Amino acid sequence: MNATTAVLLKDLRLLWRQRSGWLSAATFAAISVLTYSFALDLATGEVKPLLPGVLWVTFLFAGIIASGRSFAAEAEQGTFDALLVAPAPRTAIYGAKLISNLLALLLIEVAVLVMATILFNTALLSVELIAIMVLGTLGYVSLTTLLSTLGSRVRSREVLIPVLALPLLTPLLIAAVHATGGALDLPTGGEPWLLLLAVFTAWTALGSVLLFPFVAEQ
Amino acid sequence: MIEARGLTKRFGSALAVDHVSFEVAEGAKVALLGANGAGKTTLLALLSTLLSPNEGEATVAGHDLASDGSALRASIGVLTHQPMLYEELTPEENLRFFARLYSVADAGARVEELLRAVGLWLRRDEPTAVLSRGYHQRLAIARALLHRPPVLLLDEPETGLDREALEVLNRLVLHAPGLTVLAATHLRERVSSWADGVLELERGRLLAGRAVVQASRAAAGAAR
Amino acid sequence: MSAQTPTADTASRGTAARWALAALRPMLALYDARWTLLPPLTGAFMLAMLVGAVIVAPREAIEGEVQRIFYIHVPSAIAAYLCFFVVFVASIALLWTRNLRFDAVARAAASVGVLFTALTLATGAIWGKPIWGVWWAWDARLTSTLVLLLIYAGYLLARSLSERTDVQAARYAAVFAIIGFVDIPIVNLSVRWWRTLHPDPIVTRLPGSQTLPDSMLAVLLLGMVAITLLALWLVALRSEVEQIGVRSDDLRTEIDRREAQRSGAA
Repeated sequence: MNATTAVLLKDLRLLWRQRSGWLSAATFAAISVLTYSFALDLATGEVKPLLPGVLWVTFLFAGIIASGRSFAAEAEQGTFDALLVAPAPRTAIYGAKLISNLLALLLIEVAVLVMATILFNTALLSVELIAIMVLGTLGYVSLTTLLSTLGSRVRSREVLIPVLALPLLTPLLIAAVHATGGALDLPTGGEPWLLLLAVFTAWTALGSVLLFPFVAEQ
Repeated sequence: MIEARGLTKRFGSALAVDHVSFEVAEGAKVALLGANGAGKTTLLALLSTLLSPNEGEATVAGHDLASDGSALRASIGVLTHQPMLYEELTPEENLRFFARLYSVADAGARVEELLRAVGLWLRRDEPTAVLSRGYHQRLAIARALLHRPPVLLLDEPETGLDREALEVLNRLVLHAPGLTVLAATHLRERVSSWADGVLELERGRLLAGRAVVQASRAAAGAAR
Repeated sequence: MSAQTPTADTASRGTAARWALAALRPMLALYDARWTLLPPLTGAFMLAMLVGAVIVAPREAIEGEVQRIFYIHVPSAIAAYLCFFVVFVASIALLWTRNLRFDAVARAAASVGVLFTALTLATGAIWGKPIWGVWWAWDARLTSTLVLLLIYAGYLLARSLSERTDVQAARYAAVFAIIGFVDIPIVNLSVRWWRTLHPDPIVTRLPGSQTLPDSMLAVLLLGMVAITLLALWLVALRSEVEQIGVRSDDLRTEIDRREAQRSGAA
């Protein structure tokens, strides 16, 4: 636990120092929402049915861009080895990265929700919606954080991480979009989407925690 | 202090470290010699649990490699030619982070002591990125010594050091009494000035067979 | 297989491996005989399957001749899943034993699995055009098969971007493969739920939803055996190729190193 807080505090400090990287992910999210508005005529058409999809695709891409780098910086500076030769358990290192990525992404996502609330004149900041957002974000961040251990020397890793992550995240995207739709009073077919989202998040989080020590080894 | 028995590491079918056995007594300073690709770095990675061996076993400071990894890592300091520092943090923040990671009890005092010892106290609040390479190296030495490890594993520590950093390395590591040191190096001519003994690797094999190195100088306090 | 390079990580792991080996002895004997058994068996069953599918099996009343593609389509899908199961098991074995042989097996099985998944999709499309009127329909099974293809294409891509002998990359790929395999049922479930929301495509009849006449069933079973044998043979060949590749990479590095040493000494 001590190690987790140490790495977490260090990561949050680095997050602040390297905020240009996170601001670019946030800017990307804003531009993405705007682009969808033009492409899907969100300004004039019926917005609500499209909104969950627009939001979650934006969240996913912004999240992969942002959290894809979490281990790359450590690997480039050689500090990943410094973490691994410290007595801290590997799981603690992963947990700290996961939490710092989660916090930063939730910030971006809340900003997107506020923006969408204003732009589309739809109340999006409800407790139910935020809960779905937190759950879904934890699900994809735990996977992208694990996948971001892909060595920095691997060619074209920036493209590879989304290519690997997105097919695996198919259930999460489907479940999150429909759960969000349900929160917005859209027809969702009555399937327990929230349960599916929770189960998916639980297993990606658990699987990532269990498998991280294997990818962390050299 | 370091004891290896039949340590072996394969990469595919190639043997990087081939049944290496040796002993290093407490306080001894040992040079690990060998050409590029002889297995020096792999051996150090095995001893620091970055890699796990295919065969053989080893203990460092009484902790077993396979079963007691966490305690083993707590009692070693690692220093390579890569400083392993966060460029966006200041020297003080770097050391404070590692002190917390290693649960160093008197973190504040220890960080100050080391920053002064390596001559970085006055520059402790500048971002590490703007410091020169020599300062990076000195800070890296401070990081490796932060948690007072009884054993230090070094990989080419003298490469690219300036005069001041070399002086710090000599004072705090290579001639520090009581500290057990295993240092991979290719600077054969420099070795005699600090080493109590030499282990030489060739293609993953230890040339001397089974080697035992005693602390002849540092621990005993007598010149050889 | 792991017996040749015992890992001395823990003693208990060694005994567990020995017990597993004792239990697997008959299977290992079969494995050793793979080059003598697989080619003739595969050939015989493939031939029988083709004869059965084209000549023996009756012409399907409603769908016509195009229905015969099912004798390849269904077994291909099963073979693909089988291959991905092999990838899953080999990946666990790689993480457990750290023996790169299992990485070669996993890669081989993944590429054969991707091949059969693509074959499943292609034969499905060929069947779908006359029957559904479209090459592609967002049918639940089709969609999840496409996701399956993307997952393992990603695996192969990730693995091919790094060296064959790169242990770290092998382990990364293994972790991805394990997550991917456990993901498959969740993908299938979520896609099925997702499809129920939307109007069904113009499907007259789903494949396999009616009871097959005995002769058709017999040919289908024959096809399953034939395609499974073919997949096993391909995986065996491919993993042999991968292992030879690893060995040649090793030899090349060794040659380079010795030459560097010689030129350094001279």
